Amino acid sequence: MTAIIGSQVQIRQRDFKDDTVNAIEVSHLTKHFGQLVALNDVNFSVTKGETFGFLGPNGAGKTTTIRILTGITVPTCGDAKIFGKDIVKETIAARKQMGIVHETSNIYTDLTAWQNLMFTAELYDVRKAEREKRGQDLLELFGLWERREDKTNGFSKGMKRRLTLAMGLINDPRLIFLDEPTSGLDVQSNLIIRDVIRDLNARGVTVFLTTHNIEEANLTCDRVAIINRGMIAAIDSPEKLKKTIQSVQSVEIALDPVPHQWEGLRGIATVSEVRKMGDKFRLITEDPQTVIAGVMAYAERHNTRVIGVNTYGPSLEDVFIKLTGLEIRHHGVKTVD
Amino acid sequence: MTEQAEWFRQLRVEFIAAWAIAKKDMIIYYLKPNIIVSGMLFPLFMFLAFAVGRPAEPSVMIPGLIAITILFSASSIEPVSIPIERRMKTFDRLISAPVSLHAVVLGESLSGFLYSIGIAFVPFIAGIVIFGIPILNAAPLIIGILLTSFCFATMGTLFASYPTESPGDIMSMLNVVRLPLIFISGIFIPIESIPSYGQFAVYFSPLTYGNDLIHAAYSGTTYFNPLVDIVMLIVFILIFQFAANRLYKKFNE
Repeated sequence: MTAIIGSQVQIRQRDFKDDTVNAIEVSHLTKHFGQLVALNDVNFSVTKGETFGFLGPNGAGKTTTIRILTGITVPTCGDAKIFGKDIVKETIAARKQMGIVHETSNIYTDLTAWQNLMFTAELYDVRKAEREKRGQDLLELFGLWERREDKTNGFSKGMKRRLTLAMGLINDPRLIFLDEPTSGLDVQSNLIIRDVIRDLNARGVTVFLTTHNIEEANLTCDRVAIINRGMIAAIDSPEKLKKTIQSVQSVEIALDPVPHQWEGLRGIATVSEVRKMGDKFRLITEDPQTVIAGVMAYAERHNTRVIGVNTYGPSLEDVFIKLTGLEIRHHGVKTVD
Repeated sequence: MTEQAEWFRQLRVEFIAAWAIAKKDMIIYYLKPNIIVSGMLFPLFMFLAFAVGRPAEPSVMIPGLIAITILFSASSIEPVSIPIERRMKTFDRLISAPVSLHAVVLGESLSGFLYSIGIAFVPFIAGIVIFGIPILNAAPLIIGILLTSFCFATMGTLFASYPTESPGDIMSMLNVVRLPLIFISGIFIPIESIPSYGQFAVYFSPLTYGNDLIHAAYSGTTYFNPLVDIVMLIVFILIFQFAANRLYKKFNE
């Protein structure tokens, strides 16, 4: 996939002459909707060429942040700069640098794939010869060239998402906002989009990615910000974030047969939480050795066999849960939306 | 690039974007059933309801029909297209593009403007072919049709700024304004015959000035000076354009 982008789409290799200017600079950003504080003194910066993940539960302020950064909504106070251009005062200049892939695949279903792309290119002042060349390259890259003359109302969810991403790239942006780019997609679309994100990053395009998929952020992002209730809870690389909660280690066990009264696993010494994950259990602890011994004793008491044991360090999901304070549901089992 | 050159370059970009928006609307919305009903059939039946059985000459009725057709057809595209685009989230595409809101408003209005001109041709051609009504002066007819169409297209865009995803919400509000305009603009009742308490309202209706210009093409006489008609229509267009721009901005905050 990387080779395809390299040879056909010709996304420009970005220069880094003016390294002093960040791709995104957010300072004391606050947004009120009446009495509701959607964003509360948010500060962060994204350097050029970085893939930056923005994680948070529903209603945390992710969409509001993106709407402010793309100039759709104005902040109550604070400011945001895109490559040094103030998004409120120099909105058009700032927008020229960016491509936007909205959370919903907002394509015109009464237009063909080609008409959708060309319309977006005209909005972004891409010259005719260039937009036709890039349009063809992008549709080929996303596997839609054969369907270019078809109205998009017959497209699958994955095809619509791929077309939305192609529309976000038609102006060859220096910065791309991706709002939940792979949410609910088929495997093929997922793989194509992830490869494109990686390739964009390799070519110096700055990627601002919001996602619910913590593993996706873990695998693709250089840094991750976790936002909760309108405030930034943490910003760092995924690995460094994990190290901040080393106390949250876990032991994954598989039992055969699976006991009906598995809530009793919570009673094992040093276990702070139990998550049922399919036919396995994840026991959160500070001391895996003690837990393994406790699990063996538990299995013997309940006439079951331990058929698998794995120990894990903290995951980005653990960091997310810890920082966003998601509530324990259903007898100690935590879930993430 | 000098500041002036950059300004002209951006102006060109704004017009290209506005034209792209208009083209998109033409492809998607012109043949939507609710547009056909509100833009073509509604003015026709409105006209028939008031004109049939009246002892007026076709040379008096045809300009009125043209004016009503423009009023309804020009203001029918955006109140349908914009709420649908809000629902489909495609409107976010327009308001996050690197162009000003003026370009978005202009583009949306352009589609209503062109639609209305096309529809206005129907009564115009009917007047010539079926009734053999002569055009005494083509200039006020052309200027009247162009300005009135653009004025009501911009009015439609202004009403569509109301942040709803339902076209019916906007159409309801719009009809509260459009229907009374017919009676205070000299279409069915000559302005001189409107009761004195209604005469005041005549001046606040853009349809008054549009109808006056179109009527002049057939009768050779106008109620106001034609220049007054033209200036007033331009003033209404500017008011609608800037009000729309301000409201779209406000409702997105």
